[in-house]
Amino acid sequence: MKLIRVNMSDKTIRVEDVPPEYRGLGGRGLTSIMINAEVPPKCDPLGPENKLIFAPGLLSGTVLPNTSRVSVGAKSPLTGGIKESNAGGTMGAALGRLGIAAVVVEGQAPEGELYFLRIDQNGEASLVPAQEYRGMRTYQLVEKILARYGEKTAVLCIGPAGEYKLAVASIQSSDTDGHPCRAAGRGGLGAVMGAKGLKALVVDQRGKSPDPVADPEAFKEAVKEVVRIVKADHMNAEVMPKLGTAGLVAPVNSMGAFPSYNARRGVLEGWENICGERMAEIIQERGGNPTHMGCSQCVVHCSNVFVDEQGKYVTSSLEYETIWAMGGMTGIADLDAIARLDNLCDDIGVDTMSTGVAIAVAMDAGYKEFGDAEAAIEMVEEIGRGTEFGRILGGGPVAVGKHFNHDRVPVVKGQSIAAYDPRAMQGHGVTFATSPMGADHTAGNVVGMYLQGLLDPLKPEGQVEASRFLQIAMAAFDTMGQCFMASVALLGPDGGEAFRRLLSAYLGTPLGPDDFPHALGVRVLKAEREFNRKAGFTKEDDRLPRFFYEEPLPPHNTVFLISDEELDSTFDF
Amino acid sequence: MKVRVNLYGTLRQRFPAYRPSEGIEVEVPEGATVRDLLSLLDIPQSQGAVVIVEGRVLKAEDKLRRGVPVNVLQAIGGG
Ligand code: SF4
Repeated sequence: MKLIRVNMSDKTIRVEDVPPEYRGLGGRGLTSIMINAEVPPKCDPLGPENKLIFAPGLLSGTVLPNTSRVSVGAKSPLTGGIKESNAGGTMGAALGRLGIAAVVVEGQAPEGELYFLRIDQNGEASLVPAQEYRGMRTYQLVEKILARYGEKTAVLCIGPAGEYKLAVASIQSSDTDGHPCRAAGRGGLGAVMGAKGLKALVVDQRGKSPDPVADPEAFKEAVKEVVRIVKADHMNAEVMPKLGTAGLVAPVNSMGAFPSYNARRGVLEGWENICGERMAEIIQERGGNPTHMGCSQCVVHCSNVFVDEQGKYVTSSLEYETIWAMGGMTGIADLDAIARLDNLCDDIGVDTMSTGVAIAVAMDAGYKEFGDAEAAIEMVEEIGRGTEFGRILGGGPVAVGKHFNHDRVPVVKGQSIAAYDPRAMQGHGVTFATSPMGADHTAGNVVGMYLQGLLDPLKPEGQVEASRFLQIAMAAFDTMGQCFMASVALLGPDGGEAFRRLLSAYLGTPLGPDDFPHALGVRVLKAEREFNRKAGFTKEDDRLPRFFYEEPLPPHNTVFLISDEELDSTFDF
Repeated sequence: MKVRVNLYGTLRQRFPAYRPSEGIEVEVPEGATVRDLLSLLDIPQSQGAVVIVEGRVLKAEDKLRRGVPVNVLQAIGGG
């Protein structure tokens, strides 16, 4: 296991062995624990003291499928706290195959300089001046990078929004077709990358020096069992390949929990026009691909390729959270408009969730009408052009709320909520309030428990426990490099057992039932919470905005019911 | 009694003539439960079917009501 440290101030590159305290970590566990240890908590997120860390999961680069996640960590310019955001595509596997545990970007290039960080097939890293790519949008950029370095290249990059250092700027990740359509979207990490002077991380996918597996035979056997469980899950066998995550539009609207019109209602008028079932039909009719492999080594295929009426590519993997933010929150029940917005966000390099919610806040404040797709597209274009209003919008929902003096801003720790209203799905409120990441859609997503009838979404009972269990489990799985779909399928006792066997074989240390996911997840969360505490966060930051407690959400007309004391007990470890 | 059933997820594929705007009408005995409905529709447990009525997830033994449309969906763990 090696670390590559790149100093953007003096352009030095050092390769180190992973120190003992970081061994057995990858992905989120590694980025968060390193940031807590190495980044001054009160530093300027856009200054030279912050570090930007790219870490494939611990198991990325092994034969285990669905492990091409790459975690990106830093202090967030959006939340002011610790941030890990992970993306699929090809980068996780590419770094893993080179035996690189993390690339740590430190310091800051002088104003006006711009670089690629290139890692070749042998794992040699170099900084390449990239002035001519300044201001370039991501699709054109990646096309040029692939033409220059070859098709078998994985790219993480920023668009103009990252160069402007906007708080909603994303880091875009190239998928198996070379489209920069997957994203480490949350927390404004694209702005940190822009501040460092780094336009792209460019890594050869053909590395052949992954870290050795301690017990290869046992590992191979364990992989078979894990894959069997992942594929047997009906969500991965049926729903994800056919509808993708967009399959959630119908259940969440049916439960009255789809935050619509800036979270004024729990059901979007016309949601049937933008649900996964309709999306799959449209894609099929037009000759797109509803069952697309977005990431290296995937056996589930939750991705899709959305095309226009002429059959021309518009965007890839139109996802549930994007459909919600760009459709539900804005009242735009039109998949073609949402797909254009998705493509535009990827191209400019902004988080579709924070951007959609920022647009919704502006609409709610009366700037434009809900449902006005042309206005929404123009607003995102303004971010790309870097106009004055574009920069306000690019500051995220809080900046927009301040600009219009509007207080209905659905964020926690500055980061927008996800596609589950906490008044109709109380457990999501617990996760949104308490996650060290700010409101988040993967950190502890309770929707499966509601749909399986294990928990009543409208009652406060059991929500804190459910959120705690899932937040711990996800912190552990986010460390492994597996995608959410595979991880969710392994949350049961059989899955946990099979995964522990696999991890034991990989590490060569027997793991007990408490070691994974519990002990690892707790270790990661503790580091994240410690960083946030040192950065100045208190329990008052683990709260939802006022209106969730006061304004009933139709159709159930419920408010958020979990008391502050209960919220504070979420992490009583 | 007749109940209107709306299908979602990949369940629609089990009913080739299914039209989303119309759903399907199913004749069930008075007092029929969610379990009865799913077995009548021949939807096996492996499909992860979930029945939602008026915004609430029903349990297998809950009874269906006359004139109240039923949504049959599939459980998903998030995304
Ligand atoms: S299931 Fe989806 S997110 Fe997971 S590896 Fe496959 S395409 Fe990527």
